[in-house]
Amino acid sequence: MESSLGDRLARLLGGSVVLPVDDLEIDEMIPQAIVRPTERVQISELLLWASSEHVSVLPKGGGTRLNLGNVPRKADVVLDLGAFDRLIDYQPADMTATVEAGMTLATLQDRLAPGGEFAPLESAQPRRSTIGGILSVGAGGPLSYTYGLPREWLIGLSILGTNGISTKSGGKVVKNVTGYDLNKLYTGSMGTLGVILEASFKLLPIDPQNGMLFASFPSLSNSVTASRKLIHSGSAPAGCLSATSGITRRLQDSTLAASQDLGLGEPETALLFAFYSGRSQATRRRLEEAAAMLIAEGATAVQRIEGPAAKSTLRWITDVPTQVNEDSALVIKISVPSNSTPPTSAECGDVALFGEKPEQIADPGFGSIRLFWPKYGDIQSFHSMEPQPIIDTIQNVRETAQSYGGSAVVEQCPITVKSQIDVWGDYPDSLAIMQNIKYRFDPNSILNPGRFLGGI
Amino acid sequence: MEFSGFLNDLKAIVGDQNVVHHPDDLLVFEYDGSVDRRIPEAVVFPGNTREVSAIVALAYYAGIPVVGRGTGTGLSGGSVTPPGGIQIAFPRMNNILEVDTDNRLALVEPGVINLHLDTRARKDGLRYAPDPSSQKACSLGGNIAENSGGPHCLAYGTTTNHVLGMEVVLEDGSVVNLGSLARETVGYDLRGVFTGSEGTFGIATKIAVRLLPLPETVRTFLGIFPDVESACTAVSAVIEHGIVPAALEMIDALTIQAVQNVSDAGYPDDAGAVLLIELEGLQDEVEEIGREVEAALWDTGATHVRTAEEAEERQQLWAGRNGALGALGSLAPNYFLVDGVVPRTQLAQVLGQVADISRQYDIPIANVFHAGDGNLHPCLLFDERKEGALQRVMEAGTAVLQVCVDAGGTLTGEHGVGLEKKEQMPLVYSEEDMANMILVRDAFAPDNTLNPGKIFPDGTKQTPRSQHVFPGMPA
Repeated sequence: MESSLGDRLARLLGGSVVLPVDDLEIDEMIPQAIVRPTERVQISELLLWASSEHVSVLPKGGGTRLNLGNVPRKADVVLDLGAFDRLIDYQPADMTATVEAGMTLATLQDRLAPGGEFAPLESAQPRRSTIGGILSVGAGGPLSYTYGLPREWLIGLSILGTNGISTKSGGKVVKNVTGYDLNKLYTGSMGTLGVILEASFKLLPIDPQNGMLFASFPSLSNSVTASRKLIHSGSAPAGCLSATSGITRRLQDSTLAASQDLGLGEPETALLFAFYSGRSQATRRRLEEAAAMLIAEGATAVQRIEGPAAKSTLRWITDVPTQVNEDSALVIKISVPSNSTPPTSAECGDVALFGEKPEQIADPGFGSIRLFWPKYGDIQSFHSMEPQPIIDTIQNVRETAQSYGGSAVVEQCPITVKSQIDVWGDYPDSLAIMQNIKYRFDPNSILNPGRFLGGI
Repeated sequence: MEFSGFLNDLKAIVGDQNVVHHPDDLLVFEYDGSVDRRIPEAVVFPGNTREVSAIVALAYYAGIPVVGRGTGTGLSGGSVTPPGGIQIAFPRMNNILEVDTDNRLALVEPGVINLHLDTRARKDGLRYAPDPSSQKACSLGGNIAENSGGPHCLAYGTTTNHVLGMEVVLEDGSVVNLGSLARETVGYDLRGVFTGSEGTFGIATKIAVRLLPLPETVRTFLGIFPDVESACTAVSAVIEHGIVPAALEMIDALTIQAVQNVSDAGYPDDAGAVLLIELEGLQDEVEEIGREVEAALWDTGATHVRTAEEAEERQQLWAGRNGALGALGSLAPNYFLVDGVVPRTQLAQVLGQVADISRQYDIPIANVFHAGDGNLHPCLLFDERKEGALQRVMEAGTAVLQVCVDAGGTLTGEHGVGLEKKEQMPLVYSEEDMANMILVRDAFAPDNTLNPGKIFPDGTKQTPRSQHVFPGMPA
């Protein structure tokens, strides 16, 4: 009898590297083996061997977004990078840091804080999310309006290719045009081009003062309109989000806003969250000006929070999509030019699935919207849901996003739907170049095969 | 095919008046702002994307290399024509197609001058942040090719942080769009990797860039220091206060001398270094941080500190810095500008080593640089008419780059590799690192007919064109 993949990996890399698969599954596929190497050479050996054996390798960080992307064509070996979690270099006066891919975001920030600095990366579940995972997904968070995406802060990478060779791009300096900027290529590539070992970032100083505003509006569209005005005002926040009542009702449960009457119990009430940081005096002035402006824009209540409570709320809204996902049948993230956020939000907000309209979190400054359609019936029925209405909803939302020059990525849906669609949406005309890059970096298509758009 | 036939075909695409091929007329297209030169076989001025596409396709099938040229202000030989090649230049494609104030973005043609876009944006309370020193002359197309920087990149990032998307013509004349008007797009970040590809991936024919709101207040500080070491200490002190200024620039004693030769910038005779710091933001924030900056300057040994808030006064403080490179002409007929970058904390030490190289090679070196992001600009002063001078300067330049790399830095912060630094690439990158880069170029331009011979050392292994189609995909 042929020996199992786990046995072969144990012989290749050493028995202690191979972990039990337990209950790990990716899009209902159970991998044949999980490996957690402790030395870089083991990853190198794994990739070389996998390339020659046509065994697929799925790199994994904290596992918080394992189901993002298309259903993999093959899920043979999960490569857990958690053992690579060192801070390699941190010079506060240089405002740069180099870390291994398996370090969690929370650990990184904790290590940088004594130097008075932070990495402007945002992620849900920062105690689990790793730097490598955050870079692979390439997404931002509630402060994307100011900080943009991880691509803006990444200055260097160390990568293991499918040929087992370690290469670097960029370096440790904040300004660098030496050779092609492959950092941009790897960021957001969903682990399809190489395995990230190490990353260097530009950092920012921690602002001494934090503050935020909650404002209640009679409807989401009022809130989104007010967001746009606020973003374009002299007292613009670092980030501004609008969310529907189904989202913000969870806030009431979390006690953060329990002491104030923001009308969170009302079915239509939408909340606006505006986050500020900076020097004390200037931050307070902006909070005052913004509060007055939101009242003038029709807010029914405005609550101001400063200090640690403001940070907790930022944490809460960064994490809340993860919680809402659990109760959702379908989650779509839309990106549009920022001024198209109000009409896109309004049109997509009317798209019902099984009679239910979606909950929304919109970022009208950055131009993104997350839509959550709730599950119906019991949990068992979730995966047996009839796919066609969901596919129709996705198509409907995509057409709306495209009509505004944007795109729509399906972040969560039943497997019956996922196996029939490309979650990344319609293909850009540059797809052939992307496929060509993939083919050249990973000719045997072993890294996360099929997970990215267009079969990449 | 005879070259004359090729010229006729070019003329058929763009009209006789838009093809330059007389040797006298070609002379001005021989060089950029660096030391390398080569006269192109012809220069073509297309008027739109369709014409660019037709020209590129024609050249591709004729086996003639093509280089896109902005306005020739580049500092690494990036737009110097490859052997037997033609240039495509964009004086006719210089329209700002749209300034969208609501989305805070602009759509431009590649020939638009950087400062023209910024000036236009300012009418609506916006700005285009990347501001290369050549911004009065350089074009957005060239900025994309080189991923240009500038003094204000310290706070706002370089060109790549401001490009949303572009329409590009590939080497066979096909046209594709990269990125989009939305901040986030799906798939590999091709507009990101295209930016800074030095014209080897394709030619951008339309460019969408972000515009930022103008700050409420701008305040400029000028500190005069007895020497570069103390000015570097001031840089560290400012950063340690948790301050990221919009700009943080330095000039050294030799540069000060050159500036004063040309016109009195008001620098005292014994000034050893001038530090310029610009703060932007809300009035009260700038005031609060400004007090800290001023204190830091005095604490670290400044002999004079001046500040200005009004535009005209700020211009005066900047005048010495902005005129510095031009003023070097009062010291020597030529300069060779090295663009090395080092970690900020290594600045003082590296400048000391640069001074050693200056003595060792007996070449005066003037320093004008972006101190905030560790981007040095040592200017090696020489007279190219003297036999062997250029050769010696290039050797000293390589020594300076070696010092930068040894300090944990790199070859170029904002000027690009081009022809000038391609042989130094192995100081920073392994063969495998470069092979990976070439894989990406192969995906965009498998036949390497766009600006060939740049960036990578001569003799770098070139991967052959692959006919493979991506597995599992409809053709």
